[in-house]
Amino acid sequence: MRSKLYRHTEGEMTEPLCRLVYYSRNLVVGPDESIKAEVDSILSASRRNNAACGLTGALIFNRGVFAQVLEGPRSAIERTFERIQRDPRHSDVQVLALDAVDQRGFPSWSMAFLGRSLDGETMFGHIAASSGFDEKRLEGERIYEIMRLIALEDETRSA
Amino acid sequence: MPTTVQPQTIRPREVDGSVRHGSFGHLALTAFDAMSHAVAVTDTEGMIVLSNPVFDRLLADDGERLRSVVSLAHAEGATHGKREVVLADGRVLCLEFVDAGDLRVVSAEDITMHREDELHAADAALTDAVTGLGNRERLGVALRKALGRSSSPPAAAVLKIEVDWTRTLHETFSQPFEDALIRLVADRLRSALRDEDVAVRLGGDRFAVLQIASNQPADAAVLAERLTDLLGRSYLLQGHLLTISVSIGVAVLPGDGSDEEAILRSAGLALHSARESGSGAFRFYDAALGEGMERRRTLERDLRRALALRELSLAYQPQFNIGASKVTGFEALLRWKHPLQGWISPVDFIGLAEETGLIVQIGEWVIRNACREAARWPDDLRVAVNVSTVQFADANLVPAIISALAESGLPGDRLEIEITESALLGDHETALSVLQQIRALGVSVSMDDFGTGYSSLSLLRSFPFDKIKIDQSFVRGADADVSGVAIVRAIAALGESLGMTTTAEGVETKEQLKRIAQQGCTDAQGYLISRPIFPDQIVPFLSTTPALGMVQDAIQALPAHGRRND
Repeated sequence: MRSKLYRHTEGEMTEPLCRLVYYSRNLVVGPDESIKAEVDSILSASRRNNAACGLTGALIFNRGVFAQVLEGPRSAIERTFERIQRDPRHSDVQVLALDAVDQRGFPSWSMAFLGRSLDGETMFGHIAASSGFDEKRLEGERIYEIMRLIALEDETRSA
Repeated sequence: MPTTVQPQTIRPREVDGSVRHGSFGHLALTAFDAMSHAVAVTDTEGMIVLSNPVFDRLLADDGERLRSVVSLAHAEGATHGKREVVLADGRVLCLEFVDAGDLRVVSAEDITMHREDELHAADAALTDAVTGLGNRERLGVALRKALGRSSSPPAAAVLKIEVDWTRTLHETFSQPFEDALIRLVADRLRSALRDEDVAVRLGGDRFAVLQIASNQPADAAVLAERLTDLLGRSYLLQGHLLTISVSIGVAVLPGDGSDEEAILRSAGLALHSARESGSGAFRFYDAALGEGMERRRTLERDLRRALALRELSLAYQPQFNIGASKVTGFEALLRWKHPLQGWISPVDFIGLAEETGLIVQIGEWVIRNACREAARWPDDLRVAVNVSTVQFADANLVPAIISALAESGLPGDRLEIEITESALLGDHETALSVLQQIRALGVSVSMDDFGTGYSSLSLLRSFPFDKIKIDQSFVRGADADVSGVAIVRAIAALGESLGMTTTAEGVETKEQLKRIAQQGCTDAQGYLISRPIFPDQIVPFLSTTPALGMVQDAIQALPAHGRRND
């Protein structure tokens, strides 16, 4: 069921669409439980904020690194990015891509979380194996494509 | 017994039984009643004897303030004056009273709006219009207040912050864009502070924070660390991804300065030191910084004076062509004889001259003097002049060369400009255009100290050099150094294929001369040929120097393939 998340239509936008892909390091340390709670809180906050300002996107969390895709009106992306930059839980934020796009890759997700899907882990594990999850070697476009694939698979399975 | 005030009515009250009931009195009272100003008559203790409705409305329930003002003024012996009172409800009244025998005439005016406007104006005068942070004045006010506090010091720290945009070539932003950027930085700065901290913009890309926190310097270190991280993170604005470098200098109160000016100077010195140590750094003030800065200031002052008093001079070191076995020209080298300290090495003052911009004036002086001197030499000798990176970027360089040539009558092809790689690293197109303008004058251009910097081959290819000067570190003591030999050989080969002369610098022995000749260098410079000499020694040197004969003998002993070029 995708409908529990707000679905955005392009007609609402007066600004051109943009897509931002970045990764950041999570500074929260502690047992898995507290990291999970932290990721949950980051996720629910970003879903709430994103729904309010017309953003969609996806988030992967793996071994202390977030990779995130944000799409929507440029000014909303910039405001959200600024909020992330001020968040002491993130560090080392690296922008991999900032592009104007024709359509959203994640139209139905305020913030899809791909960290818990088994397939996602497998796919991501594959990246990790081939690159040691060396984020610097992952191009923004590639991360975006991989995340979109994972999200679509998740959707197919839960539909 | 005084009676209480009853608003909206005029009731003459008996004072010493002198109330009048005549028609004139009635008229006066009617006028009094109709006045738009708030007026009352009181006794010397401030008890109201007579008041008009406007006055009653203004002062309604706060007669106590009036009494205290009037009685106090009476006690002080004042016969007239103005007092401002703040009422319980926050309104501000101006009370003006005039002595009238045993009575006082008091007029009141509500100046609350005035005061608010003034406060706004005062606030605006302390606010940076672009960012909404405080300005330099606000910092001064807060600092004086902090320094005036007698609580056990240290109680606060000043952090001076400078951010520097990393721009790509030719990137210029509009003023509104720059303002929006600086607002983003200011907002991040604000987000990291507590209410009691004072954040100001000092102007441009410079900020300061007065941190009121008693655990110094630990608290300041934590904040400085947080700010270098936070402000140094990238920014997204209007589709641009921007990165900045952050430098912070910290001074702690009151140890690093006993007054406002001293504290700010200390923080400024610490900032300077942070900037020098690279981006993303913060530094605490240290007394040694002050001494170092003092030395610099003295040196700068002396250098300015040196320029004016002609303490600078030029020495000339011969440049020798190996193939032709003859001196082809001289490199002009700057010398400074300080009246007290004697000779000061260029290493010790050129850096400072570049930082202060004095190098532009000094450089012009060098070009002018070198050209004038060379014009007296035999026609086949050239003079080489070093142009620093800062000078190369100065728009005045080409005009200065043109004027030096014209003034001295030296043909352009007898002047050579030596620049280092760093001069070309900034704006590629501008650098190329400057080089082309120089060469259009017939002046040749050398790449100096090659091998020490980036040693970029693409720079050699894309810029039209006439000569490569190989740094002395590859020439001296390199007998056993295989890579040094290989590098000299490679550069010489490259020079040959690009049609450039290659000069080995720092040649001190005949063995070195032989080796670099065998490695393919066409020219040599160094103590073996001659130390730098003063102008009056040039003519004798050219005619009679035995050392030159010795060098020529060494050249003659070389196998023919080691002697290239003529």
